[in-house]
Amino acid sequence: MKWLMLLLCAVSVSSLGTEFSGKVQAVWHQSDLPTTWLESGTGVTRFDDNDVALQQTVMRIKHTVVPSFDVQVDASYYADGDQHLGLTQLQLIYKPLLPSRIKWRARVGFFYPEMSLENVDTNWLSPYTYSQSAINSWIGEELRTAGAEFILYRPGRAVRSPWSWEFRAAVFKGNDPLGSIISWRGFALHDRQSLHHERLQFAPYPTVIDTNVIWHPDWVEPFTEIDGKWGVYVGLHLDYLRQTQLRYYYYDNLADPNAVNDQRLYAWHTKFHSLAMQHNITTKTRFIMQWMTGDTLMGEHFVYTQYDAFYAMLSHRQDRHRFSARVDIFDVDEDDIFENDQNNSHGHGITVNWRYDVSDHWQVGVEYSRVHSDAANRVQFNLPTAVTQQQTLLVSEYHW
Amino acid sequence: MLRYYATPLIILLAGLCVTASVRAQSPPVTVSVTVLDNTGLPLPGFAVSLTPAEGAAPVTDTPHAVMDQINRQFAPHFLIVRKDTQVRFPNSDSIKHQVYSFSAAKRFALLLDKDSEADPLTFDTPGVVELGCNVHDWMLGYIYVVDTPYFSASDDKGQSEFVVPPGSYTLSIYHPRMQEPQEILRRELTLTKNQTLRLPLTRALLPDFSQYNADDEFGQYE
Repeated sequence: MKWLMLLLCAVSVSSLGTEFSGKVQAVWHQSDLPTTWLESGTGVTRFDDNDVALQQTVMRIKHTVVPSFDVQVDASYYADGDQHLGLTQLQLIYKPLLPSRIKWRARVGFFYPEMSLENVDTNWLSPYTYSQSAINSWIGEELRTAGAEFILYRPGRAVRSPWSWEFRAAVFKGNDPLGSIISWRGFALHDRQSLHHERLQFAPYPTVIDTNVIWHPDWVEPFTEIDGKWGVYVGLHLDYLRQTQLRYYYYDNLADPNAVNDQRLYAWHTKFHSLAMQHNITTKTRFIMQWMTGDTLMGEHFVYTQYDAFYAMLSHRQDRHRFSARVDIFDVDEDDIFENDQNNSHGHGITVNWRYDVSDHWQVGVEYSRVHSDAANRVQFNLPTAVTQQQTLLVSEYHW
Repeated sequence: MLRYYATPLIILLAGLCVTASVRAQSPPVTVSVTVLDNTGLPLPGFAVSLTPAEGAAPVTDTPHAVMDQINRQFAPHFLIVRKDTQVRFPNSDSIKHQVYSFSAAKRFALLLDKDSEADPLTFDTPGVVELGCNVHDWMLGYIYVVDTPYFSASDDKGQSEFVVPPGSYTLSIYHPRMQEPQEILRRELTLTKNQTLRLPLTRALLPDFSQYNADDEFGQYE
């Protein structure tokens, strides 16, 4: 928060070269139980009742300090969750002017790896659906790069090629508990990004909080450094004209799974592959997909899960209308020493969305999602393991 | 000594006066140029210029031109200007651009905030200026600077027409998609009467990649 205040002060001194963008979304939601994980339940949708709420309140400030050097801050306010106001990203971006055909740029700070082709709106939101894919819902709540990313890239057009490429490599710290939430709650579909320093709540599974079993709190602070080790990721972007994009990432936080801090948070050794693709079928219609596969290990095999998730989405713009439909499949399989601490979960979901631009600044939208999740550890609360939740959202948005 | 040189000097001056008088009185000639590709099809949008051998008259009124940024593209993609033209770089987009050139004819970098405009730049060296944007790497544009008042872009039939005083000229054509060195297609012309010329390219055009112009409404994290 101090960072944000300092930055706002710095920006207010001079508005030259500063861009402000953001949006406020108010929602009327009709949602099924079980209780959302944000309220310590086992549900996998953000809301669990019928009410009016703030869906998103986000602001991005991008300030050009000197040409080629930008500071970008993403801040959010949420009424739900543990913390209400905070940063989701803060990055210093350096992109030198280079005459060469192969160029480089870099960024440092606290930011998302750009592995998603879904989250391309301001503040890493999705312009397609309100509830994001299972993959990027998880990325939004548990993954951030607190470190530095170096990018070597060759734009295609300047060399008369239809192909453009980027190679990315990053080192980071402060993402050791990554994997906790999907190993216990499982994947979910939502747009509640975690804020820096935020505590991410989940259900108080007896085996998790029992000091004789896992002995872990019923929450996680995802951006915590526990073992002092650096993590790495590498990524490759390949674009054909501006029609087709392919992104492959390999992520490994290289954590020591036996490291534990005094809050009883573990360093989870988490690694995965992510492959994303977008193809613009026409100028109005696009197909987007992403597949992720990986595993995570905590303690002396106290928790070990392998996970896979996939989504495919079709989105079509017609004048002021955008129609999007997405299917999700997700699966978490355990293979660890605590059989009574169940980690198996799997499910699938469908989300359909219509958004209409009323004016340059106002948008309204309707979304229906139906997600079926089967989480073995719901038996610990005497709940059926398989649950189908439906959620309807009516959203009014103002953006600038 | 002075007398020794006086006679030829008078003859020379008299000759120049007569020549100038004849030129001033000679009717202008019309030159029609058609640019064709290597298969004989007309090429629109090519820069065609006629540069007087004795040099172009100096610019009296500073010419102006505009290279805009619209939907994250240079507009126009290819701009032809006379030497000493002041080119404005407005930004019609709601996001910033950083326009640059590393070309020998004009090296510069301009940071253009949304809805802003930098001071115009004077393009005072003939040649090709390749433009890029350091924010949007797919943006590409060209400014072609010619040292003559006689220039145009070929029309849909690949044609350009000039009405010029009789005399000696260099005819040049240029387009960013042309593969040949400009010298190959350069012609020295002595114009005393109307002329029609056909200039076929010897090599195929480079791909245009206009698909890069497709504007994705969602920028990449920008």
